Amino acid sequence: MSADILTANELVVQSDGFLVSEMNGEKVMLSIENGKYYNLGQIGGRVWELIASPSSIQDIVNQLLTEYEIEPGACEQQVRAFLQQLKSEGLIQVRKE
Amino acid sequence: MFTLNDYRIFGLNIRSKIVLPEAYEIHGIISEFDVEIELNPPQEDVQDQFTTGNYRFENGRFLFHVPETACYSITSGARISVTPYPGADEAKIRLFLLGTCMGVLLMQRGILPLHGSAVVIDGKVFAIVGESGAGKSTLAAAFAHAGYPLMTDDVIAVSLSDDSAAAAVYPSYPQQKLWEESIEQLGLLSHNYSSIYQRVNKYAVPIRSQFCREPLPLAGVVELIKASEPEPSIKAYNRFEGLHVLNVHTYRSSLLHLLNLQQWQFQSIARLASELPVYQLRRPADGFSAFNLMDRVVGLANKREVVNS
Repeated sequence: MSADILTANELVVQSDGFLVSEMNGEKVMLSIENGKYYNLGQIGGRVWELIASPSSIQDIVNQLLTEYEIEPGACEQQVRAFLQQLKSEGLIQVRKE
Repeated sequence: MFTLNDYRIFGLNIRSKIVLPEAYEIHGIISEFDVEIELNPPQEDVQDQFTTGNYRFENGRFLFHVPETACYSITSGARISVTPYPGADEAKIRLFLLGTCMGVLLMQRGILPLHGSAVVIDGKVFAIVGESGAGKSTLAAAFAHAGYPLMTDDVIAVSLSDDSAAAAVYPSYPQQKLWEESIEQLGLLSHNYSSIYQRVNKYAVPIRSQFCREPLPLAGVVELIKASEPEPSIKAYNRFEGLHVLNVHTYRSSLLHLLNLQQWQFQSIARLASELPVYQLRRPADGFSAFNLMDRVVGLANKREVVNS
């Protein structure tokens, strides 16, 4: 995993071009462009909602800490890995603050 | 002077200036109609407004054009307006009116159209979807032959309007499309039936006696696949595979983006895929097995069939 994704002053936001729905509490998406399906799961789906507008990784982690029982360090690590995946699939855009 | 004809198709009361011999007529007085079908005088140059392709969407109207046949306009799920070419074949005008036009109209009304046949087993509907040539109509014909009512043989209208209620299927019109080969294998005689316009060796079989006329709950979806194995087999899809199957077999899905209804369709199929079982039924390419396949589907309905995912 590359360490250069998401420095403290970078913001992430949803990419356009996906159809979004839920199945049994899990966020499912379909890329209009290439017809690929994505299952973000439940917490992943919550992260997706949080990045409807540009957010820093700290914004996302802080919000998740209020909603889930999780240790801050572990939370940040998992969010970082998840965003890395979303980025490699083109699901998010990364911007400078 | 125009005559007015009243029909009930997909649970909708339809007043039509075009005679639709395929559909159920409404007898008695109806004060409210859901849909009006208008017929304009024939026009030579109806294609002039279509500069790029045969489909357009503007000001809430969906327009499409079939060369040498007609131009159709569908508005707000409530009005279809037909402008035929002079001398156009009436059966062909109706083919697109009952097919693509009704499909678009259903989407505008928030009713999901799937492409396939639907049969009724013990008061519950099973949708049979699959590629062209998979054997959907032949399987539906076997059901009808064995006494099971049919709901539709082309467009499956799935109503999801009420979030809390189960999805329901609305009956289409009582006609079946069968290939000549299938008719012979089912022991029907093809010369008794009229050929559907321009579909050589495909016949319209009237099935009024075997046709269900009331909406019923949708209990499952079966994707029929023509395979090279010697024996039929059946498996349950997981809900993500089911989502894909429903996406692939949405009727006229290529028009959804023009109608700006892609997000609505995706939410609809996601809901169906989480609520309903979706199965894959593989049938041998050779050797007729429609009644055997029918027994497998009935087994699913009665939970006799043991299914692995």
